[in-house]
Amino acid sequence: MTARETIFAAIKSALAPLPEREPRPAVAHGVADAQWLADETDNVALFVQRATAVGTMCFRSSSDCLAWLFEQQPARVFIPDELRDVTAKFEGIVEVVRSYSRDQVDEIDTAFTPAAGAIAESGTIILTDESTPDRLAALAPWTHIAVVRKDTIHRSVADALAAMPDDPNIIWVTGPSKTADVEGILIQGVHGPGVQGCLLI
Amino acid sequence: MINLATRPKGKRVQLMATCLCDAFYDDVARATVEVLEHAGCEVDFPEGQTCCGQPAFNCGQWPAARKVMRHTASVFAGDAPIIVPSGSCAAMMFHGSTLEFEGEKDRAAIAQVGARTWELGDYLVNGLGIKEWPGEFRAKIAFHRACHTRGTPSGAAVLQLLQSIQGLEIVPFGEEEQCCGFGGTFSVSFPNVSTAMGDLKLEHLRAVHPDYIVSGDMSCLMHLGGLAEREGQPLKTLHFVQILRDALHQHHGQATH
Amino acid sequence: MAKQLIDTYVAELPPTVQKAVHQSTAATTEKRYQLLGDDYADSDGLRKLAGAIRQHTLEYLDTYLAQAEESLTARGAKVHYAVTAEDACQAVTGILQAAGITKVVKSKSMVTEEIHLNDYLANQGIESIESDLGEYIVQIDGDHPSHIVRPIIHKTRGDIARSFEREGLGDYNDDPETITRRARKFMRGKYLEAGAGITGANFVTADTGRLVLVTNEGNSRFCLAPAKVHIALVGIEKVVPSDADLSLLLNLLGRSATGQQLTVYTEFINGPRRADRPSGPEQMHVIFVDNRRTEVLASDCKEILRCIRCGACLNVCPVYRQASGHAYRSVYPGPVGAVLSPLLAGDKFKELADLPKASSLCGACNEVCPVDIPIPDLLLRLRNRAHQEHVPSPGTPPMAGFALLGSHPLIWRSAMTFGAAKDYLPLDRLPVPYLGAWLKTRTLPKWRGGKFRSWMKSRHGRNGGGGK
Repeated sequence: MTARETIFAAIKSALAPLPEREPRPAVAHGVADAQWLADETDNVALFVQRATAVGTMCFRSSSDCLAWLFEQQPARVFIPDELRDVTAKFEGIVEVVRSYSRDQVDEIDTAFTPAAGAIAESGTIILTDESTPDRLAALAPWTHIAVVRKDTIHRSVADALAAMPDDPNIIWVTGPSKTADVEGILIQGVHGPGVQGCLLI
Repeated sequence: MINLATRPKGKRVQLMATCLCDAFYDDVARATVEVLEHAGCEVDFPEGQTCCGQPAFNCGQWPAARKVMRHTASVFAGDAPIIVPSGSCAAMMFHGSTLEFEGEKDRAAIAQVGARTWELGDYLVNGLGIKEWPGEFRAKIAFHRACHTRGTPSGAAVLQLLQSIQGLEIVPFGEEEQCCGFGGTFSVSFPNVSTAMGDLKLEHLRAVHPDYIVSGDMSCLMHLGGLAEREGQPLKTLHFVQILRDALHQHHGQATH
Repeated sequence: MAKQLIDTYVAELPPTVQKAVHQSTAATTEKRYQLLGDDYADSDGLRKLAGAIRQHTLEYLDTYLAQAEESLTARGAKVHYAVTAEDACQAVTGILQAAGITKVVKSKSMVTEEIHLNDYLANQGIESIESDLGEYIVQIDGDHPSHIVRPIIHKTRGDIARSFEREGLGDYNDDPETITRRARKFMRGKYLEAGAGITGANFVTADTGRLVLVTNEGNSRFCLAPAKVHIALVGIEKVVPSDADLSLLLNLLGRSATGQQLTVYTEFINGPRRADRPSGPEQMHVIFVDNRRTEVLASDCKEILRCIRCGACLNVCPVYRQASGHAYRSVYPGPVGAVLSPLLAGDKFKELADLPKASSLCGACNEVCPVDIPIPDLLLRLRNRAHQEHVPSPGTPPMAGFALLGSHPLIWRSAMTFGAAKDYLPLDRLPVPYLGAWLKTRTLPKWRGGKFRSWMKSRHGRNGGGGK
């Protein structure tokens, strides 16, 4: 017998004696929505509030974002072509590179990538392989700014799950990379970004 | 678990006094009778009763536990509500028994007894519909919700009654949800863990300076009281039914505490 | 008197470790409680619903597992099955060797702990680095995780600083931020040179074949960004029917584990790179691991397979808080481990049969469990099994005498009356070890055996009836 056959035979024989089996419970859409979600009417405002609460910096305009970025004095900023329009103001003010490769992991300390969407309820940014030019670009730089189109913000976690795109790699980002492994003390920027930002357009 | 919502609510009740009250805490059993009678119940005390068998059940010696439970089920024959001044023994009757009798021929008969069993506070509030308790009891107490009442209406029921008593102040304390460390034979087979758990509980309780530690289970109070006394700093303990009873006496102008 | 191993362990555990474990677990428990209360009117109902979903999946596991396999295969992943721990390790090695890979990075996975994958790979000459900060420290120390979510809950910053110094990660520095930055720098190099990323999975959805991975650090993302090959080891019980079920499970997992609405990174992976999605690994392998899970499924403790590894039961458990994780001598500590570890031990059940005893049966574990596992019931069933298999249980009184008393009312009543003798005996000097264990730290109340019965009788005579 193959390993597969052995395991399936063992499962079947384990379940055979059950007099009856647990029926599939109905999981109503939104059953686990936070109770305060019903009172919220503005998806964008809610997203900003929730994202800020988990430590994601939110920018309502590219000028705000640029002003902040300028203060950070980034070494090199990766901005892919598809965001050229959004970040046109950045040209000449910070050093912008248009391509990303693994050789540049240590040199590019800031990256902008387009997000595939967001979730208002949890302040989550959604990234996919389709939207992200290179997985490393959204992960390795100390500062990552996801560019989120306001009309792609889902209201709830349940809504986002119901609209999952066909993509082999969907990532929900709810705040900056963090750990509390050392004595429970919260430290940001373990492997991924220490600063997670979001530019709303 | 047996459906707790369909238990009988009649006022002719059988009292299961518990082995701890039989051996140590007769006043708690007496108070139970007085409180039930005040609530208009006719209390029958089946003389043949011994114990719910939980000590053997908890240490995995289920054949011994079943022997005791079979006896208990025969003693509490009939269809009257069975009232127990202990959340732990009550849980043994309506939940533990169904576990230990899995696959046994007489499981249904045992379940019939469990399906009539009420923890006292639960019965007073949810069985008899008593929402407040008359009388007065001037004291500051800390209420320890016994672990075996988790997931049952007992904790809320007892608090509701106590909160309605004039002069009674219930103080919150740290890590209220934590166990006192008794756990039956656990207290002797894991004496270090058990004692450490109890000490932690005492630390939180002492921090709020209650006049009494109150619970619905004498086992927790025996453990906490015994620890405190051995440490040379005794703490006064009361079963909530003693407060209910004494509040009534205050009501009639005959204080006993 | 023979002692229970966990009780002895507690007595010998340094108070500093105990205090650290207690503070951290109590704080997480409080955070969890607050957040669930703020967000849900009926979080108990949600736990029960999530439990029903998991139980349903387990009871149709053959259907859902086959469906998950089909979904994954259709999206270009290769699915393997491993009956034993050894099979699973061999499957990993086989995939790595076929791809000519000698260096891998791993993200935290309990099943790989269970099958001792790192040791196996090391013996095959394959370098395998744990990328989760806590797991990495465990690895360089040759230690074992002591908590499912917080593997180094038992270590201080000083311990870690010394380990880093020893491993050449800089001079002694116990600042948590410095420790974290050094790990970040070191790990970057490892991610980039690794040929494969090895992960576990928190869930696998049957309908779309999505492996769901949650981390706060982002290490699993990093394992899967530059690597050529992704290997996921997944317990067969991790399947859930559909993406929609995740709305409940993910919402409960983060809140239960760390008091977060969602864990920082939630990844959904269902296939290798494709022509239109050219980032990520070229190969994706999913190894479904049995390692005695089908035995657990056949047992009367199958509910434990609902577990989603949030660690809430550890955090709330008064025994875990005293004992920390290593006391459980197995991969899974705390209440869940006290059930799961003896079951996964197979013919070594007896060696771990004491774990289910290490509980006052307070039920806090069940109350916080996001999938409503009746842990106390399962502990009791395992105690019963241990007794049936004649496993000795130190410090536990034999109950034959109790059963005799408890089933013979006349003897019982005599015992109640004569028990009064206890107050006149030097109890602490009697050769009854159980009594000694009680009296060492506790007193016993005065014997009042039979008094209530006499009172009841006298009233009976007075009132002429049972009632008023």
